[in-house]
Parts: sequence; C-alpha cells; structure tokens
Amino acid sequence: MTTATARQRDSLIEQPQPSQRRFQIRRIIIYALLLLGAAIVLIPFLWMISTSLKTEDQLFTRQIQLIPNPAVPMNYVRVWEQLQSINPNMTFWRILGNTLFITLLAMFGEILSASIVAYGFSRFNFRGRNLLFALMLATVMIPGIVTRVPGFLVWRQLGLLDTYDPLTWPSLFAWGPLYVFLLRQFFLSIPREIEEAAIMDGANVIQIYVYIMIPLIKPILLAIGVLAFQANWNNFQGPLLYLSTPEKFPLAVALRFFDQSLSKEAPQWHYMMAMATMMALPILIIYFLAQKQFLEGINVGAVKG
Amino acid sequence: MNLGVLGTYLPTLARYVAVMVGIAVIMLIAYRVQRFLGVKQEAATGRTLIMPWLIGFLIFNVFTIGSSLYLSFTEYNLFRAPEWVGFDNFSEIFDLQIAPLESAAQRSSDALPPRYDEVQRVTLGDGGFVIGARMEEFWRSLRLTLLYAVLTVPLGIVASLGVALLLNQKVRLLGFWRVLYYMPAILPSIATILLWRWIFSGSGLLNGLFAPFYRAAGIAAPSWLTNPDLVLIVFVVFSLWGVFGANSVILLAGLKGIPQELYEAADIDGADEWAKFRNVTLPMLSPSLFYNLVTSTIAALQVFEAAAFIDIPDSVGTFLNWLIYQEAFNFRNMGMASAMAWIMLLLILALTALVFRSSSAWVFYQGAKDAN
Amino acid sequence: MKRVLFLFLVAILLTVTISAGAQEPVTITISTWAGVDEAAELQVLIDEINAEVTGYQIVHQPIPGDYFPTVQTQLAGGTGADLYWLDQNQMAIKSEGVLMPLTECLADSEPETAGDVNDYYPGILAVNEYEGDVYGLPWIAQPVVLYYNRAIFDAADVAYPEAGWTWDDFMAMGMELTQDTDADGEIDQWGFTNNGWPPPFIFVWQAGGEAISADFTTSPIDSPEFVEGFEFYLSTAYNPELSPSREVISEQGFGEMFKAGSIAMFMGGAADDLDRVDGMDVGVIHVPANPTTGDITTFAWNASTVVNGNTANPEEACDALVQITEAIQGWKIVSPRISQATVEHLVESEPRKEPNAEAIIAAAGDMRALPIFGNYSRWDATFWSEFWGPLLNNETDLSVAELAAEVRVDLEETLSD
Repeated sequence: MTTATARQRDSLIEQPQPSQRRFQIRRIIIYALLLLGAAIVLIPFLWMISTSLKTEDQLFTRQIQLIPNPAVPMNYVRVWEQLQSINPNMTFWRILGNTLFITLLAMFGEILSASIVAYGFSRFNFRGRNLLFALMLATVMIPGIVTRVPGFLVWRQLGLLDTYDPLTWPSLFAWGPLYVFLLRQFFLSIPREIEEAAIMDGANVIQIYVYIMIPLIKPILLAIGVLAFQANWNNFQGPLLYLSTPEKFPLAVALRFFDQSLSKEAPQWHYMMAMATMMALPILIIYFLAQKQFLEGINVGAVKG
Repeated sequence: MNLGVLGTYLPTLARYVAVMVGIAVIMLIAYRVQRFLGVKQEAATGRTLIMPWLIGFLIFNVFTIGSSLYLSFTEYNLFRAPEWVGFDNFSEIFDLQIAPLESAAQRSSDALPPRYDEVQRVTLGDGGFVIGARMEEFWRSLRLTLLYAVLTVPLGIVASLGVALLLNQKVRLLGFWRVLYYMPAILPSIATILLWRWIFSGSGLLNGLFAPFYRAAGIAAPSWLTNPDLVLIVFVVFSLWGVFGANSVILLAGLKGIPQELYEAADIDGADEWAKFRNVTLPMLSPSLFYNLVTSTIAALQVFEAAAFIDIPDSVGTFLNWLIYQEAFNFRNMGMASAMAWIMLLLILALTALVFRSSSAWVFYQGAKDAN
Repeated sequence: MKRVLFLFLVAILLTVTISAGAQEPVTITISTWAGVDEAAELQVLIDEINAEVTGYQIVHQPIPGDYFPTVQTQLAGGTGADLYWLDQNQMAIKSEGVLMPLTECLADSEPETAGDVNDYYPGILAVNEYEGDVYGLPWIAQPVVLYYNRAIFDAADVAYPEAGWTWDDFMAMGMELTQDTDADGEIDQWGFTNNGWPPPFIFVWQAGGEAISADFTTSPIDSPEFVEGFEFYLSTAYNPELSPSREVISEQGFGEMFKAGSIAMFMGGAADDLDRVDGMDVGVIHVPANPTTGDITTFAWNASTVVNGNTANPEEACDALVQITEAIQGWKIVSPRISQATVEHLVESEPRKEPNAEAIIAAAGDMRALPIFGNYSRWDATFWSEFWGPLLNNETDLSVAELAAEVRVDLEETLSD
C-alpha cells in the first residue's frame, strides 16, 4: 500500500518533469533559432545604417565598428552636394519629387484599374471569362525584357521617350495581374446578398462599386497599395530605359548614376549607403504603419491560391 | 514661377488624365454597343469592366510580343530600318561546337575552331571535351541564370518552410517576428544589392568577420566579387536574404489554415512529429508551396538589378535579363536581343509548364476543383 | 464629376501651351562624360562663351555614368542634348544618319579657327568624315609618347633614349633595366610595361602594315609587315626579361607602377600626368622607330564634339559647336589643329607640360588615328576577341601569322556589311 502510494506519488511528481524539461529545451531552441534569424535579418540592415554614418576613414578600418564614432549624419546632406557638383539640378527635392510623381501616379492607376477589372472578373458571368482570367494570370510568365525593345520603339514613335509617360499611365490598364488576382480572391469572399439588396433598391453598377464594394475591400486595397507603392518606388528597369536626363531620374536610377560616376574608381560606401537608407526609409515607414493589414492582405492570396 | 520643373510633370499628368477619360469613354461605348446588340446586362457589364485590362493586354502584351517575334528575325540597329535576316540570329545563337580535348592541359581555345569560345569545359581523366559557341556570352549567361535559379529556389523554399514551422510553434510576439522577418523583402532591391556588394567587397564586413579564420587556415581573404568560382555565392546570399522571411510569412498563413482536427486524428493513430509533418503538414501546405515555387522560379530567371550593380567576371557570363538589355540598348543589336528574349520567354514557359505538369503528382487540393 | 475632370484637363493643357509659347533665349545643351573636376573646368569656359554670345546660352549636362548607352538612346529617341562629346570609337555612329552634317554650316568659317576644317590634321579629321561630309569637330588628338624615369637610367648607368632611337635600342635598354634591385631573387624593376596598352597599331604602322586598307575593303593583318609589327608588340608584353606579368600589374596597378618608380619606360598619352609626380625626374621622347623603315608613326587618341541631328536649333548649335571647340582646344592638349601645333600654344593650354612641350609637338606631327568606319565597333570586337586578346593573353598556341590568316576572313566580313 505504502509502496504503491509512494510509487503513485512518485509518478505524479516525476512524470511531468522530463516532458516539461523537454518542453523547455524545445522552447529555448525555438527562441534561439528565431533570434538567429533576427540577427541574419538585422545585421546587414544595421550595417547599412552604420556605414551611412561613417567618415571615409572609418570605412576601411580593420576593426569592425558597428556604432560609428564619430557619427556623421551630414553624409545624408553631402551625398546630394556631391550629385549636384555634377548636375546642379539633381537636388534632393527634385529627385524625391520625381520618385513620388512616378510612384503615386502608377500606384493610383494600378489600384483603380485592378479593382475595376477584378470586380468584373469576380461578380459577373460572361462567356470566355475563365479563359480570359487564365490568360491574364499567364502574363505573369512573360519576361519584361521581351516587351522592352518593341516598347521602346512604340514610345519613341509617340515621341514620349525621356518623359514620365511610359512609367505612369500604362498602369491604368491594370498592368499588375497579381493585384487583380488578389482582389478577385477578396471579392469572391464577399457574400452576394449584399449586392442583391442594393440592386433591389435600384442601385447601378457604379454605385454598388463605389458605395458598397470599395468600403468592403479597403483592407486588401491597403495591402495592394503598399505592394504597388513599393514596386514603383523601387522600379529601376523602366526609368533606366525610358529616362535619359539625369535631373528626371527617380532615386533608384540616381543611385546608379552616383555609383557609376562619382563612386566608380573608389567606391564611396558611406554616401551610397546613406542614399540607400534614404531610399528604404519611406517604404519602411509605410510598411510599419500598415503592417497588420498588409501582412493579412497578402496572405489572402497565398492561402487561397 | 518655377515652371521649368513643373514642365516635366504637367504634360505627363495631362496625358494621364486624358487616358483615364479615354478609357472611361471606351468602356461606355463598349457597354452601349453590347446592349444594343442584345447582350444581357450582366455579361455586358462584366465584359465592360475588364476592358481596361483587355486593351492593355492587346497593346502591351499581344502587340509587343508579336513585334518582338518579328524583330527577332531581323537585323536592326535602331537607326536604320530593320532588315529581314530569317533565322540568322537564332542560328548564330545555336551555333555550338563540341571539341575533344587531346589532353587535360590543352587549351580550350586551341581545341575549338576559331570564332568559337569556351562555354563549358569537361575534363575526364587525361582528356575530355569542351563545348564552345559563337555567342558564348549567351550560353554562359544562361548557365549562370539557371544555376542561380536551381540554387536559390529550393534553398529559399526550404529556408522559409523552416522559419514558418518555427513561427508556428505558438511563439510569443508572433506579430513582431512576422514584421521583422518580412522586412528584407520590403527594402528596395537596389539598396540591398549595393549593401551586399559592400559586405562582400575585399575589405567589407564579411572578410572582416572571417579574418581570424583566414589567418588560422593560412589563406588569403577571398575576393568574392571577382573570383569566378565565388561570385555566384554573393547572388545566392543576396537572394535568400531578400526572400526567405517574406515567403515564410506567407507559408505561415498556410500552416495556420491547416485544420487542427487533422493533427488530432494523427495523434490518435499514434503518429510521431515526422509522420505528422509528412502526412499532414506537407500535403496541406502543398498549394502554398506550389504557388511559391512558381513565382520564385519566374522571379529567379528575371534577375536584373543585381547584374546592373555588380560587375560579373566575363568567364561566368551575366544574368540573361541584363545581357539582353545590354545587347539591345548598349550594342544596339535589337534583332539579336529580341531573339534572345524569345528564347528566354520559351524557356520560362517550358519550365513553368514542367512545374505545373509535376504538380498533379505532389500538390494536394482539398476538395479539389470546387473553386472556379 | 466628368465636368470637373474636363475643366481640370483644359486648365492643364492651357498652362502647358502658354508656358511653351513664352519666348526665352535658345538653350543649347552639351552632354559630356566629364567628371566633377573636368566639368568644373569646362564650366568656366562655357561661362566665358555665354557672356559673349547673343541668341543662345550653352548649358552643360554631364553624364559621367553609362555615357555612351545613354547617348545612343537619346539619339535614337530624338531626345537629349544638342551637342555631344564622342571619342574616336564612338564616332563610328557617324554613318547612322543621326548626327548633323556640318560641312554646310562650317563653310563660312574664318581660316585658322575651330570651324576651319582645313586646319585639322587630315588623319584626325578623317575620323569625323563620312561620305564626303564632316560630322564632328575634333578637340583633342593626343599622341602616344614614351615617358622615361631618369633616375632608373642613371642608377643603371644606361644612356637616356635619344631622337632616332629604334626598337632594338628600346629592347636593349629595357632588358638592361629589368633588374632585381634588392637582390632578393625576384625582379622588382622593369624596363617597360604592356597590358594591352599601348595599342599594337603603333608598331604595325611603323613596320608598314595596315589593319584596315584605306578603301575599307580589306583587312590585311596577315601581311608580313603587320605580322612583324605585331610580333614585336607581343614581345614587349608580359615578357619576364622586359616587363611585369599580368598578376604583378593587376596587384600594383598599371600606371601606378611607373609613378612608384618600378618601371623605367612607359608609353602614355601626351596629356597624362606621368611627368608630374613629385620628386620624380621624367623625360618624354617619341616612341622608338622601326629599325628598317625608320618610321616613328604613333597612335593618336582623339575625341570630337558632334551635333545631334534632331536639334531644334541647328544654326545656334553649329555656332555653339565652333565656339566651344575653340575654347576646348585652348584647354585640352594636344590641339588637333595644325595652326596650333606650336610649343607656345601647348604651354599656354597646359603650363605644366612646358619641359616636354617640344617632344610632344614633334610626336604630334607623326601621329595617326584609327581608321573609323561605320561598322568599326564590330571590327574592333572581332579583332580583340579573336586575335589580339588570345595572342596577348597567351591563350593560343598558333603563331601570329597562322592566326592572322584565319581571323582576316572574319574581319573582312565586318567590312562588307
């Protein structure tokens, strides 16, 4: 009896222990791995910011210095002085203005057209719909370079080379199939009854779209907005080809301009990293502000896809 | 008034608005015509709403791809009218020669006929063979691009699956980890490629960190960017760093979507962790993995920025996308560039088709084909 | 909603039209590859011109990165600057019909000014000519000369090179000066250096060979004269008895090695700053002559300013071209004009070249430019990748004559296109 109870008590106390310890070791390993991942993500990123604050002498010291001493935030101003020494019109505000102009127009066009097209693909039955939708998805596979040469010739014919046109208004033709795809997934998840009630009340398509659908798809529009902002802000291939006057460049091409001209012989990493950080900053801010809706938004497509 | 600066924005803005109005007008006309022809309201509305895409598709895809095909049969230098040359561009690209090596020491250039340069050399014992081509840059670049895809796509999927599984372990502050891990994908690729070029440069962070190892091993610090055998590593690291976090966040959503009952049922059957992973997690996650595989393969074949910011040694080639761009806009060989672009298009189509064909064997769709 | 949009559109169009209609002095833009310092010096010249001329103002738009690709897209797209700098190789674009022919607008130029085409060295002007028309005004023609470090000659007790010296003298001196000065068993001082520069054409031309015939129909690189010159050229590159290996050069830097005092003789452009190293006594002399022909022809690196064929203001552009060319010819050395081939003009442009001015002016009389024709870039690419490159880098076991016979066919194919 006593031994039995003792054994029973033993087992009561002993039994959870190994599994709990195993559980704890497991937790520790998981967090250690997560921290390792965080280090992999963060160290290069911090190195970029750190370099952007260094003097030229600090760049090539043998000792690795993560926190620059002294720190020179003036690099962020001087890099533009350097650019202006080549072309006085390449001011920070001009280049930023170019980038924003391209980004905002293209982003607006993409959101507007993609949501209309996705609405058409998801809510209305017509012959050939599935075929056309599949065709649209298939265009993802077309490498941009195939359309570059003829595209260049078309814009030349239109006399619109070295303008912002090739980078902006084609977005009104829903040039991002992935956005249409994401939006369509979202539309499909909205119950039809909502519209049917509105149709009963005599609303037309435009009214339903503007007053009912847009408010409902706001979260995904935000996610697509972030994606589109990021893609256009970072766009390099288009501006590189279509713009040839340095003062019309957006940030991405201005960065290459700096790399190819002022930094060709002896790379001025502190300036380049300052410019890279400046380019990354607005996107990061938007990303952090909208992260919740953004991460959920992009997941809709991935899970249902 | 500084109209000089605004002068570059306003005309574009005006044309932007004009195009917007133009599309609206076309949509309106298309709707009226359809209704006039007796098409039902629903179908007419649907077709009208997709008009913006359809017009864009016809102009920006069908027309340009067609023109590209035409140009690929011409010689065209942008200044003089295109000249029809039939299959010349393609036959020049596919002009390959395989020559045997008499000894392992024999030079590739002596083994190959004149005009052919080495693409790949294979030494077997005291001999072997060498493959040469007249357009050796194209084949070298194709090799680099494919190698890059073959390395980064599976590695990227494995890494992101691993991280996704980690994050799925009921960790605290999940939101924080997700935001952090996704961050590299948000950063401008131009900024990150420059960052990695800096880290990998001769006196960069990496060689600085590894300096004690080099000293211990008694080797000189490698020059990652100029050594033909090492430069691919730089691109693989750049690519993995950029995508593993983002893909893992997407895969995590897939993991979260797996019904808990499936795991409970597996528990009842006495399945261990590995069996659960193999029989529940992987099949349920396969659609997400498939999506990931398709998009990352297509993306890997189209690297552009990385090649624009890092000079790759000639013997390695460069990324196809950049090579074609140079051929077109630096050397003004529009015809040859179009031919190369078409080969690339067909290659991507073939690879995607292959992935799709294989998908029926491994991708598991729950309640398959109930969606449209 | 639509009405608002319409009004907005009209408003924008009106603004644009009005702003375009406003009368402003014509702006003539010039694009160059100039970096920061060069651009600053050029700006001074442009400011002086702008203060004098009426009717137009010149604006400099430097494109120091991706220069030629950008220029090509601009020319193809009908956009871009009114004037461009192009170097000799880029001048091949003259045959494409995108540059403005200048013969007519230069016809009334005063003699011995930048607009007087007869004042240019004919060989340099030829780079800018195509089918009887002139497409660019050269602003520099830099002959290759030989720089020698007197200290190294003195230490080894070797006499300095003298006018009339030949390949044999050059070779003998160079080998004698190639030494292991600190006696550690490794050569640390070389008589000469060659890593693909200087161009082989110097020796080929001196021996009487031609890379491209005068009528652009043949490419007789298998002629005995060409082969003789090219073989001598190869014997000066990576020759352990004369010049450093490729590895040493890539480690220590090509021009830097001369400045560091480990190279005795160096062939460089006349405008190079190799004779301006602190504490170094450097002499300049013409390149050595072929021992049989006695010819001392040398290579001329040259560049021109051209006018965009799409310029909206051809008259002003042409005038600006002449003005700016005149200014640059008083700044860059060596001026490609015969009337300016004087020691005085050279010293005025670049006082730091005074000690060697005579040698440079003498070399200018013997310089020769590359035979640039429309398809030159393809000829050049073939010549390098199939002939020059493999021989220089020792990638072939064929002799110069054997390879030349094979490659000639390919080269002539580029001529017939």
